[in-house]
Amino acid sequence: MDCKTLITYLSDYIDRELDESLAAEARDHLATCPNCSIVLDSTQKMILMSKLTGQVAIPKARRERLWSEIEAAFNERNAAD
Amino acid sequence: MEQELIAALRQRDPAAFADVFATYSDKIYRLAVSLLHDEQAADGVVQDTFLALIEHIHTFEERASLATWLYRVAYNHAQTRLRHQRPQVDLDEWADDNIALPEKMIDWSTLPELLLTGEEAKAQIMTAISTLSPSLRAVFILRDVEELSTEATAEALGIQPGAVKVRLHRARLALRETLAGYFEEIRGEEWTAKH
Repeated sequence: MDCKTLITYLSDYIDRELDESLAAEARDHLATCPNCSIVLDSTQKMILMSKLTGQVAIPKARRERLWSEIEAAFNERNAAD
Repeated sequence: MEQELIAALRQRDPAAFADVFATYSDKIYRLAVSLLHDEQAADGVVQDTFLALIEHIHTFEERASLATWLYRVAYNHAQTRLRHQRPQVDLDEWADDNIALPEKMIDWSTLPELLLTGEEAKAQIMTAISTLSPSLRAVFILRDVEELSTEATAEALGIQPGAVKVRLHRARLALRETLAGYFEEIRGEEWTAKH
Protein backbone atom coordinates (compact mmCIF):
# COMPACT_ATOMS: atom_id res chain seq x y z
CA MET A 1 0.00 0.00 0.00
CA ASP A 2 1.31 3.50 -0.83
CA CYS A 3 0.66 6.81 0.98
CA LYS A 4 -2.12 7.92 -1.36
CA THR A 5 -4.02 4.66 -0.90
CA LEU A 6 -3.53 4.81 2.86
CA ILE A 7 -4.98 8.34 2.97
CA THR A 8 -7.92 7.21 0.82
CA TYR A 9 -8.71 4.49 3.36
CA LEU A 10 -7.77 6.49 6.46
CA SER A 11 -11.31 7.08 7.75
CA ASP A 12 -12.34 3.48 7.11
CA TYR A 13 -9.20 2.40 8.97
CA ILE A 14 -10.00 4.68 11.92
CA ASP A 15 -13.61 3.45 11.98
CA ARG A 16 -12.45 -0.19 11.68
CA GLU A 17 -14.48 -0.65 8.54
CA LEU A 18 -11.70 -2.04 6.34
CA ASP A 19 -11.70 -5.72 5.55
CA GLU A 20 -8.89 -7.61 7.25
CA SER A 21 -6.55 -7.88 4.25
CA LEU A 22 -6.70 -4.10 3.58
CA ALA A 23 -6.37 -3.34 7.29
CA ALA A 24 -3.24 -5.52 7.41
CA GLU A 25 -1.79 -3.67 4.39
CA ALA A 26 -2.57 -0.36 6.09
CA ARG A 27 -0.89 -1.50 9.31
CA ASP A 28 2.21 -2.60 7.36
CA HIS A 29 2.38 0.76 5.61
CA LEU A 30 1.90 2.71 8.84
CA ALA A 31 4.69 0.74 10.51
CA THR A 32 7.18 2.04 7.95
CA CYS A 33 5.79 5.48 7.03
CA PRO A 34 6.29 8.22 9.66
CA ASN A 35 4.24 10.78 7.71
CA CYS A 36 1.17 8.56 7.41
CA SER A 37 1.51 7.67 11.10
CA ILE A 38 1.49 11.38 11.92
CA VAL A 39 -1.62 11.91 9.78
CA LEU A 40 -3.35 8.97 11.49
CA ASP A 41 -2.40 10.04 15.03
CA SER A 42 -3.30 13.70 14.51
CA THR A 43 -6.60 12.83 12.80
CA GLN A 44 -7.57 10.58 15.69
CA LYS A 45 -6.58 13.29 18.17
CA MET A 46 -8.59 15.88 16.23
CA ILE A 47 -11.67 13.63 16.38
CA LEU A 48 -11.27 13.17 20.14
CA MET A 49 -10.79 16.89 20.71
CA SER A 50 -13.82 17.72 18.56
CA LYS A 51 -15.94 15.25 20.51
CA LEU A 52 -14.95 16.86 23.80
CA THR A 53 -15.14 20.45 22.56
CA GLY A 54 -18.38 19.94 20.69
CA GLN A 55 -20.44 18.96 23.75
CA VAL A 56 -22.05 22.38 24.16
CA ALA A 57 -25.43 22.64 25.86
CA ILE A 58 -28.22 25.18 25.64
CA PRO A 59 -27.60 27.70 28.45
CA LYS A 60 -29.93 27.12 31.41
CA ALA A 61 -32.08 30.27 31.11
CA ARG A 62 -32.69 29.79 27.38
CA ARG A 63 -33.35 26.11 27.90
CA GLU A 64 -35.98 26.85 30.54
CA ARG A 65 -37.64 29.41 28.28
CA LEU A 66 -37.64 26.97 25.37
CA TRP A 67 -39.13 24.21 27.47
CA SER A 68 -41.89 26.43 28.84
CA GLU A 69 -42.87 27.44 25.29
CA ILE A 70 -42.76 23.87 24.02
CA GLU A 71 -44.61 22.54 27.06
CA ALA A 72 -47.32 25.17 26.55
CA ALA A 73 -47.73 24.06 22.91
CA PHE A 74 -47.87 20.43 24.07
CA ASN A 75 -50.57 21.19 26.65
CA GLU A 76 -52.53 23.27 24.15
CA ARG A 77 -52.42 20.46 21.60
CA ASN A 78 -53.54 17.95 24.24
CA ALA A 79 -56.42 20.17 25.30
CA ALA A 80 -57.54 20.50 21.66
CA ASP A 81 -57.71 16.69 21.16
CA MET B 1 -37.47 0.73 25.72
CA GLU B 2 -37.72 3.09 22.76
CA GLN B 3 -40.96 1.45 21.64
CA GLU B 4 -42.44 2.12 25.07
CA LEU B 5 -41.32 5.74 24.88
CA ILE B 6 -42.87 6.15 21.42
CA ALA B 7 -46.09 4.51 22.59
CA ALA B 8 -46.20 6.94 25.52
CA LEU B 9 -45.57 9.89 23.18
CA ARG B 10 -48.44 8.76 20.97
CA GLN B 11 -50.66 8.74 24.02
CA ARG B 12 -49.42 12.29 24.66
CA ASP B 13 -47.85 11.41 27.98
CA PRO B 14 -46.30 14.64 29.35
CA ALA B 15 -43.55 12.75 31.21
CA ALA B 16 -42.48 10.97 28.02
CA PHE B 17 -42.40 14.26 26.15
CA ALA B 18 -40.31 15.85 28.92
CA ASP B 19 -37.94 12.86 28.74
CA VAL B 20 -37.44 13.30 25.02
CA PHE B 21 -36.76 17.02 25.46
CA ALA B 22 -34.24 16.29 28.23
CA THR B 23 -32.46 13.68 26.10
CA TYR B 24 -32.45 15.34 22.70
CA SER B 25 -32.69 19.12 23.02
CA ASP B 26 -28.94 19.67 23.45
CA LYS B 27 -28.11 17.23 20.66
CA ILE B 28 -30.46 19.01 18.28
CA TYR B 29 -29.12 22.37 19.41
CA ARG B 30 -25.52 21.32 18.70
CA LEU B 31 -26.36 20.30 15.14
CA ALA B 32 -28.37 23.48 14.57
CA VAL B 33 -25.87 25.92 16.05
CA SER B 34 -23.01 24.32 14.13
CA LEU B 35 -24.94 24.81 10.89
CA LEU B 36 -26.36 28.25 11.56
CA HIS B 37 -23.72 29.94 13.76
CA ASP B 38 -26.59 31.73 15.44
CA GLU B 39 -27.75 30.75 18.94
CA GLN B 40 -31.17 32.31 18.61
CA ALA B 41 -31.81 30.60 15.28
CA ALA B 42 -30.56 27.32 16.78
CA ASP B 43 -33.07 27.71 19.65
CA GLY B 44 -35.68 28.20 16.94
CA VAL B 45 -34.69 24.90 15.32
CA VAL B 46 -35.04 23.12 18.68
CA GLN B 47 -38.48 24.64 19.10
CA ASP B 48 -39.55 23.80 15.52
CA THR B 49 -38.37 20.21 15.98
CA PHE B 50 -40.35 19.63 19.17
CA LEU B 51 -43.42 21.33 17.76
CA ALA B 52 -43.13 18.94 14.79
CA LEU B 53 -42.92 16.05 17.25
CA ILE B 54 -46.13 17.23 18.95
CA GLU B 55 -47.92 17.44 15.61
CA HIS B 56 -46.54 14.38 13.84
CA ILE B 57 -45.75 11.71 16.42
CA HIS B 58 -48.70 9.65 15.14
CA THR B 59 -47.05 9.45 11.69
CA PHE B 60 -43.72 8.31 13.10
CA GLU B 61 -42.60 5.02 11.58
CA GLU B 62 -41.03 2.75 14.14
CA ARG B 63 -38.48 1.33 11.71
CA ALA B 64 -36.59 4.61 12.11
CA SER B 65 -35.19 5.54 15.50
CA LEU B 66 -36.63 8.51 17.34
CA ALA B 67 -33.18 10.14 17.39
CA THR B 68 -32.82 9.84 13.62
CA TRP B 69 -36.30 11.21 13.09
CA LEU B 70 -35.61 14.21 15.34
CA TYR B 71 -32.25 14.91 13.68
CA ARG B 72 -33.86 14.73 10.26
CA VAL B 73 -36.59 17.21 11.21
CA ALA B 74 -34.00 19.48 12.84
CA TYR B 75 -31.71 19.30 9.81
CA ASN B 76 -34.56 20.20 7.47
CA HIS B 77 -35.52 23.17 9.63
CA ALA B 78 -31.88 24.27 9.88
CA GLN B 79 -31.54 24.02 6.09
CA THR B 80 -34.59 26.20 5.61
CA ARG B 81 -33.17 28.82 7.96
CA LEU B 82 -29.73 28.57 6.37
CA ARG B 83 -31.17 29.14 2.89
CA HIS B 84 -32.94 32.18 4.27
CA GLN B 85 -29.74 33.44 5.98
CA ARG B 86 -27.47 32.79 3.03
CA PRO B 87 -29.43 32.21 -0.18
CA GLN B 88 -26.24 32.00 -2.22
CA VAL B 89 -24.96 28.92 -0.35
CA ASP B 90 -25.49 25.61 -2.08
CA LEU B 91 -25.99 23.22 0.82
CA ASP B 92 -25.18 20.17 -1.22
CA GLU B 93 -22.07 21.68 -2.68
CA TRP B 94 -19.06 19.60 -1.88
CA ALA B 95 -16.84 20.25 -4.87
CA ASP B 96 -15.44 17.08 -6.44
CA ASP B 97 -14.58 13.66 -5.17
CA ASN B 98 -10.86 14.28 -5.09
CA ILE B 99 -9.47 14.12 -1.60
CA ALA B 100 -6.64 16.58 -1.03
CA LEU B 101 -3.59 14.80 0.35
CA PRO B 102 -2.35 16.03 3.74
CA GLU B 103 0.44 18.57 3.51
CA LYS B 104 1.32 19.51 7.07
CA MET B 105 3.25 16.66 8.66
CA ILE B 106 3.90 17.92 12.14
CA ASP B 107 3.06 15.55 14.96
CA TRP B 108 0.99 17.83 17.14
CA SER B 109 -0.89 14.92 18.69
CA THR B 110 1.96 14.51 21.19
CA LEU B 111 1.85 18.12 22.39
CA PRO B 112 1.11 18.55 26.12
CA GLU B 113 -2.54 17.95 27.04
CA LEU B 114 -2.73 21.44 28.47
CA LEU B 115 -2.12 22.92 25.02
CA LEU B 116 -4.54 20.51 23.35
CA THR B 117 -7.39 21.01 25.80
CA GLY B 118 -6.96 24.74 26.56
CA GLU B 119 -9.56 27.34 25.70
CA GLU B 120 -7.56 28.60 22.73
CA ALA B 121 -7.30 25.11 21.23
CA LYS B 122 -11.04 24.62 21.75
CA ALA B 123 -11.74 27.91 20.00
CA GLN B 124 -9.50 26.83 17.12
CA ILE B 125 -11.44 23.58 16.75
CA MET B 126 -14.78 25.35 16.74
CA THR B 127 -13.49 27.84 14.18
CA ALA B 128 -12.07 25.06 12.02
CA ILE B 129 -15.40 23.18 12.11
CA SER B 130 -17.23 26.37 11.19
CA THR B 131 -15.13 26.76 8.03
CA LEU B 132 -16.35 23.43 6.64
CA SER B 133 -19.17 23.60 4.12
CA PRO B 134 -22.59 22.96 5.73
CA SER B 135 -22.88 19.53 4.14
CA LEU B 136 -19.50 18.40 5.51
CA ARG B 137 -20.18 20.04 8.88
CA ALA B 138 -23.51 18.24 9.36
CA VAL B 139 -21.91 14.86 8.68
CA PHE B 140 -18.93 15.57 10.92
CA ILE B 141 -21.13 16.70 13.84
CA LEU B 142 -23.45 13.70 13.63
CA ARG B 143 -20.72 11.10 13.11
CA ASP B 144 -17.80 12.36 15.19
CA VAL B 145 -19.40 14.57 17.84
CA GLU B 146 -22.77 12.84 18.35
CA GLU B 147 -21.37 9.41 17.40
CA LEU B 148 -24.24 8.34 15.15
CA SER B 149 -23.56 5.40 12.85
CA THR B 150 -22.98 5.94 9.14
CA GLU B 151 -26.45 4.55 8.42
CA ALA B 152 -28.23 6.71 11.02
CA THR B 153 -26.39 9.80 9.76
CA ALA B 154 -27.39 8.97 6.19
CA GLU B 155 -31.00 8.60 7.23
CA ALA B 156 -30.99 11.81 9.28
CA LEU B 157 -29.50 13.85 6.43
CA GLY B 158 -31.39 12.14 3.61
CA ILE B 159 -28.25 11.04 1.77
CA GLN B 160 -26.65 7.70 0.89
CA PRO B 161 -24.29 6.00 3.38
CA GLY B 162 -21.53 6.22 0.77
CA ALA B 163 -21.93 10.01 0.67
CA VAL B 164 -21.69 10.11 4.48
CA LYS B 165 -18.38 8.27 4.34
CA VAL B 166 -16.93 10.49 1.63
CA ARG B 167 -18.02 13.69 3.38
CA LEU B 168 -16.77 12.51 6.77
CA HIS B 169 -13.39 11.66 5.28
CA ARG B 170 -13.13 15.05 3.57
CA ALA B 171 -14.18 16.84 6.76
CA ARG B 172 -11.66 14.97 8.92
CA LEU B 173 -8.75 15.61 6.56
CA ALA B 174 -9.67 19.30 6.21
CA LEU B 175 -9.95 19.73 9.99
CA ARG B 176 -6.70 17.90 10.63
CA GLU B 177 -4.94 20.13 8.13
CA THR B 178 -6.39 23.33 9.62
CA LEU B 179 -5.44 22.31 13.16
CA ALA B 180 -1.98 21.23 12.02
CA GLY B 181 -1.44 24.79 10.80
CA TYR B 182 -2.47 26.18 14.18
CA PHE B 183 -0.35 23.76 16.22
CA GLU B 184 2.61 24.27 13.91
CA GLU B 185 2.64 27.89 15.06
CA ILE B 186 2.18 26.89 18.70
CA ARG B 187 4.99 24.38 18.51
CA GLY B 188 7.19 26.97 16.83
CA GLU B 189 6.54 29.36 19.71
CA GLU B 190 7.18 26.64 22.26
CA TRP B 191 10.46 25.73 20.54
CA THR B 192 11.50 29.38 20.34
CA ALA B 193 10.72 29.85 24.03
CA LYS B 194 12.91 26.89 25.00
CA HIS B 195 15.90 28.00 22.94
